Amino acid sequence: MIKQFFVILILSIVGYFLVDAFFKVPFGEKRDNVGNYYIEKSPVDLKVSNSVTAIVVNYRGFDTLGEVTVLFLAATGLGSIMYRRKQKGEKEVRAKNPSSRIIQIGSQILFPMIILLGGYVFIHGHLSPGGGFQGGAIIATASLLMLISYRKFKVSHNAITWIESIAGVVFASLGFIGLVLGRTFLENFLPTGELNDLLSGGIIGIIYIAVGFKVASELTGVIDTVLLNNRPEAQKEN
Amino acid sequence: METIFTYLGYFFVALGAIFLFLGALGIYRMPDLYTRVQAGTKASTLGAMSLILGVAFLEPDWWIKLLIMILFIAFSNPLSSHAIARGSYKHNLKPFSKEQVDAYEEVEESKEEQK
Amino acid sequence: MIWLVIPVIVLVMMTIGAAIYAVVSKNLLYAVVSTGVVSLGLSLMFFILQAPDVALTEAAIGVALTTIIFIITIRNTTIKECCDEKKSKIESKKGELK
Repeated sequence: MIKQFFVILILSIVGYFLVDAFFKVPFGEKRDNVGNYYIEKSPVDLKVSNSVTAIVVNYRGFDTLGEVTVLFLAATGLGSIMYRRKQKGEKEVRAKNPSSRIIQIGSQILFPMIILLGGYVFIHGHLSPGGGFQGGAIIATASLLMLISYRKFKVSHNAITWIESIAGVVFASLGFIGLVLGRTFLENFLPTGELNDLLSGGIIGIIYIAVGFKVASELTGVIDTVLLNNRPEAQKEN
Repeated sequence: METIFTYLGYFFVALGAIFLFLGALGIYRMPDLYTRVQAGTKASTLGAMSLILGVAFLEPDWWIKLLIMILFIAFSNPLSSHAIARGSYKHNLKPFSKEQVDAYEEVEESKEEQK
Repeated sequence: MIWLVIPVIVLVMMTIGAAIYAVVSKNLLYAVVSTGVVSLGLSLMFFILQAPDVALTEAAIGVALTTIIFIITIRNTTIKECCDEKKSKIESKKGELK
């Protein structure tokens, strides 16, 4: 009884402060000094038309490096949890039933188109909405389409590891080159070019391409791990 | 600046909207999954394609991207509906009609006989 | 301008309804599909609120990848959320035996 009383007391105190704080948040006021700084400065300093990309990759580039590291750790952890040693004579089965011929041929046609879209999204990350994370996720959905429609489609984990490592090394080494040539980590040392040009923004384009490859390979690896370790016989008994 | 292309564009956009509405109505009115998939896919594919075609008439600068979008819809939409219909057939979903004509099974059987 | 609010309200209702259904539903497959609907509504809302970058991420990851990974996981485990404790214990034992 006393326990319940304390629970209610604590909940009501927390609720009071939450409601109080909620009503103190000003709505509809302009408090965007930092935002205005980024919007005004990113086309002038960095010649980047998408200011979100300028914030993510240049002004807050270190955070993006941490984000990529978190994704890498998540993929690695999933791989180590889902790892299962193959028994003798066990086939690598990803899909239970083979897809029909229509789906196989259609996904063959769609696969390069989705890859093209993903590449477009992360190559034009500094010009149009999108970027490395989005493009990488789109490419991962393309490989997912192939994995679930073809039984024989295999993703080479060796290649995934290499692409991921090279992309990570490119990102980090660009940061260190900026540290050597300029003043800070990930400083933009390349010429920035013209506004609205594909070759603009200095290191932003290169970093986003590296992030795109890294995210694409990581998510493809995650999907392949989950698909490979499924046990279709478990469903039959339920 | 209203040329013939503007009116063509508005015509195609309106046509696409009508087809999309008919597709939604079909999904609402049809009795079982197969007919719903059929109504939804055919009408919405045609509707979306003609809508994008209308946008291509209205904004001629974008036509190459819009053409790729039309191609993508033309490939992906029938594929997904085929996958849905085939998956529900494999899960023994019975159609609404009482006359049980199963052409797909006959095709499958003939395939197996050939093997 | 007021007409722009109506689709947003419909979208918000759809998202909240799908989220509630995802919590309530006993069939895990329906729950996963309705979380996909939640992601779709969120992605459209991000697009309306002029954040196309976030909308792209939400559409690719929330609608496609997460849903598919959950569906694969459900296919490997059970499809029903079990409310009976004894039954779930028996089922988990069955799983261990395999």
